[in-house]
This record gives sequence, structure tokens and C-alpha cells, in this order.
Amino acid sequence: MVSKTEETQLSNLESQVDNGGGGAWEYLCLVRKLKVRRSEKVLKHGLSILNDPKKRSSLGHDEWTLYEQVAIAAMDCQCIDVAKDCIKILQKRFPGSKRVGRLEALLLEAMGSWEEADNAYSSLLEDHPLDQAIHKRRVALAKAQGNMSGAIELLNKYLEIFMADHDAWRELAEIYASLQMYKQAAFCYEELILSQPMVPQYHLAYADVLYTIGGLENLQNAKKYYASTIDLTGGKNTRALFGICLCSSAMGQLSKGRNKDEKESPELQSLAATALERDYKQRAPDKLSLLTTALKSLKVSS
Amino acid sequence: MGGESRYEIAQNAYLKLVLHALKHKASAVNGVLLGRVSPHNDLVEITDSVPLFHSHVGLLPQLEISLILIEEHYAAEGINIVGYFHANERFDDSELGGVAKNIGDHIYRYFPQAPVLLLDNKKLEALPRSKDRSPVMQRKSWLPGINAEAIGGKRSCKISFSWHIALLYTRDASRNWKLAGTDGSSQLTIKEPSANVVLLDYISTEKWKDVVDFDDHLDDISQDWLNPELFK
Repeated sequence: MVSKTEETQLSNLESQVDNGGGGAWEYLCLVRKLKVRRSEKVLKHGLSILNDPKKRSSLGHDEWTLYEQVAIAAMDCQCIDVAKDCIKILQKRFPGSKRVGRLEALLLEAMGSWEEADNAYSSLLEDHPLDQAIHKRRVALAKAQGNMSGAIELLNKYLEIFMADHDAWRELAEIYASLQMYKQAAFCYEELILSQPMVPQYHLAYADVLYTIGGLENLQNAKKYYASTIDLTGGKNTRALFGICLCSSAMGQLSKGRNKDEKESPELQSLAATALERDYKQRAPDKLSLLTTALKSLKVSS
Repeated sequence: MGGESRYEIAQNAYLKLVLHALKHKASAVNGVLLGRVSPHNDLVEITDSVPLFHSHVGLLPQLEISLILIEEHYAAEGINIVGYFHANERFDDSELGGVAKNIGDHIYRYFPQAPVLLLDNKKLEALPRSKDRSPVMQRKSWLPGINAEAIGGKRSCKISFSWHIALLYTRDASRNWKLAGTDGSSQLTIKEPSANVVLLDYISTEKWKDVVDFDDHLDDISQDWLNPELFK
């Protein structure tokens, strides 16, 4: 997950390099650090460094990291030959290396040779049973072949061992949600919130899933987690603000004709609505009247 | 409904959706179709589209709020929600999945003749490059980068050029979404024949970068999901 400031920093650097302003190496390092996927750019700028002997030698030991980064980017862009060349160079420099072995298996994946890739990963795992990246590649392999149940099984097994891997929990949650297995997705987000209670994205995603499942109790909980998201983000999260309004409206619909005494206080909803209106007035004024009408329609309850 | 349905999509509506799919090559994306039924001949005219999401496509809250706002905006112009567009995450997945069907059902309540258009990734990838030198931007689709530590590539596929690159689904009497066959009972055409040529041009200029979807809007409300400047 990348923060807004990091995203801006990356975009700025990207424009700078694209327009010939230099900074290619810094850009490539930032991409690596943030673990984002900018394969076309990485390929272009990485190759420009690697193909220039002077620039390449000035990298020193980092040269090999760059070969690895470019190889992966090349595979992502289906430039298999470039990837093969990079890997050959790395094989020469680091014969028998597990890291290079991983790249070789990745290449098999990129070429669509699923079985060979699977075998390659399995044999790598024999020698390195606790290599997280290899385990995760096997999940990716299953997912790539559309074998979602296989991916889920592998990912669950992985998480039994590496239960602190937040990215894996998030991936599992997203897979479950894409298959409409919302209760299981909710469980993953619960794990994430337990281990990292101050990360608003998990509260938000959990609320979204609860809302999607529906039912009065889930809506009440969703509202709580939208509220905690607002708390953690200083009131700046548009999705959470909308979430509050949606929850209130949905709960109102559900409790029509039921015991009115249990009705939730409407303050939270009006606060959220006000915050949204204020925000739209300032930053998207042409959409303000749309918003107001929408909020009015959401306030329809009993 | 759905026996004989003809759909015509305007070039800009079509382009917006495809460009959106190209902007987010590694995720499922979706969009909503806007339009009206022509009073003369029962043709469903898809006059515009709004790209919706590129993350958490299966979750309800963002879908609901987007449909409320979109419907409200277009109602003032006498245009309604008339269909749904979906692109699967994986390149070789040409099935209409559960999430897409559910959202299709949701849209069906707005408009019983609503089609679901599923992006045909293979056809998109196979658009002829003609004069342009850079590789055609491909949907990576199946790339499940578990946080991008290592990412794979995607198979390429050589198929000949096709007229439009979406598969058309309509809902039959038993509430199932059926792929429109070549028997011609349901058809989708693009209003302007030059659409794919324009698309290729936009691909070579990386036009997809300018597409704003509802996800972008929710992240930053100053981003306009109407994309007013996109085709100017």
C-alpha cells in the first residue's frame, strides 16, 4: 500500500525521468522500495542504464539488483528475450543461486509453462522450505491458471506458517471478495485489524465487506468501522463518510416498522453528510448539487 | 425481454471503457452504460459510459453510491442507466463471473433490456498495430502480483482483427445471462465505424492515462468521473 505522498513523489520522479531530466536510478530505487508495478517505465529506464557501460559500471554492486529488476519488468511486458538475457548474465555471475533460480522459474511462468514453473518452484522449496517469495509465487501460479480454490488453499497453508504476513492476508481477503466469499474475506480483515489496528484501510475494507454481506447487525458494525476509519484519517476519508450515510439509510430501510426506540442516533449521519458537503463545496463544487440530492435520497428512512 | 435486442454504442462511450481497462491492466474493472431506447425502432442507444472501479470490484457500498450519483446526473439529460461493462482480471478468462452477474442483475432492475458487456481481452490484444511501433498495450489480467515482489508476464495471442472487442450478454426469461450468439438475435454495434482506428491512435498516445473512474473520484473528489476533457 502506497501513501498519497509516496504516490506523488513517484509520479513527479517519473515525469522528470520521462522528460529527460535524469534521476533514472533514483526512480528505479523508489519503485523497488515501494514495490509498485511500473513495468514499462522500469524496462525503458532500466535498460537505458544497463546498455550504457559507463552508467552500468558506476552502479557497482547494484548492477545485479538492476538486472533482476529489469528482468522482472521485462517479463511483465512480455519482452521475454530481454528477460532471458538479463537472467543469463545473472546466472553467470551467481551460479546456483536461489534468487536466480526464482527468476528462472518466474520466466517459465511468464512464458506460460505452468507445469515446468510449478516443478521449478517445488524443487526450489525442497532446498529452501521457508522462502516466502517462492511460496507466494506458487499461489500466484494457481491464481494465474484460474485455479482459485488451489490458490486459496495454498495461501491458507502459507498463512499458517507466516501468519504475520499482512500482504498475504490482504491478498487472501481480496481473492475471497472476488469470489463473493464475503464472510471469509471479513475474517481476513479481522486478522489484519487485530494485528495492525491503526491502519485505516483495513477498517474501511472490513466495513465495506460487512455492508456487502448485509443484515442489521453487520450494518451496525460496518457503521462502527466506517466511524473508526474517519477517526483514524482525521475525517478525510470520502469513502468512509459515504459509508456512514449508506449504513444509516440501509438500517433505516431494514428497521421500518420495527421498534423505533432502538433507532440509532442520527447525529453521525448528519455530521458525515455535512462533512461531505463541505468537502465537495471546496473541491468539487460542480458536483455539489448532485451530492446534496443523493444525500437527501439516502436520508429516506421510515 | 431480451428476445430481440439491438444495441448501439457511441464511440466515446466505447473508448472510455476500453481505455479504462487499459489503464488498469492487472485488475478487474467495470463501468456503467448510459443511454436511452430510440422511440422509432426499439434500438438501445448507449450514448455514454462511466468507468467505475479498478479495485474491490465486488463490494457494494461504492457501487451503490456511484449509481445514485450517476443516475441523478444523467436523469437531468433524459438519459438512464442502460447496461453494465466488465473486464475480468485474467487475460484468458472470458467467463461472466459471479460478481459481474450480480452487478448485471442489479443494473437489470434499472432497465430490463440491460446488456452486460464483457471485455474480450484476446480481441483487444489482437488489434492490429498498423503503423505504430510501440508494443500494443496489453491487459495483463492474470498477473496476481502478491505485492509485486515478483510478477509474471502474460501469454500473447494472435487472432485476427475483430469488429468490436466486447462479448454481449443479455438476460433471458429464466434470469440467466446468455452470451449473444451469431444467430443475430441480439447484437451490439459501434455507432461510428472508425472507433477501433481511433482506439489504436489513443493507445499509441497512451491516452488511457487521462481516464478518471469512480475509484479515482472517491480517492480525490476533485477528479471528475464525467471525464469532460478526455476527448476534446
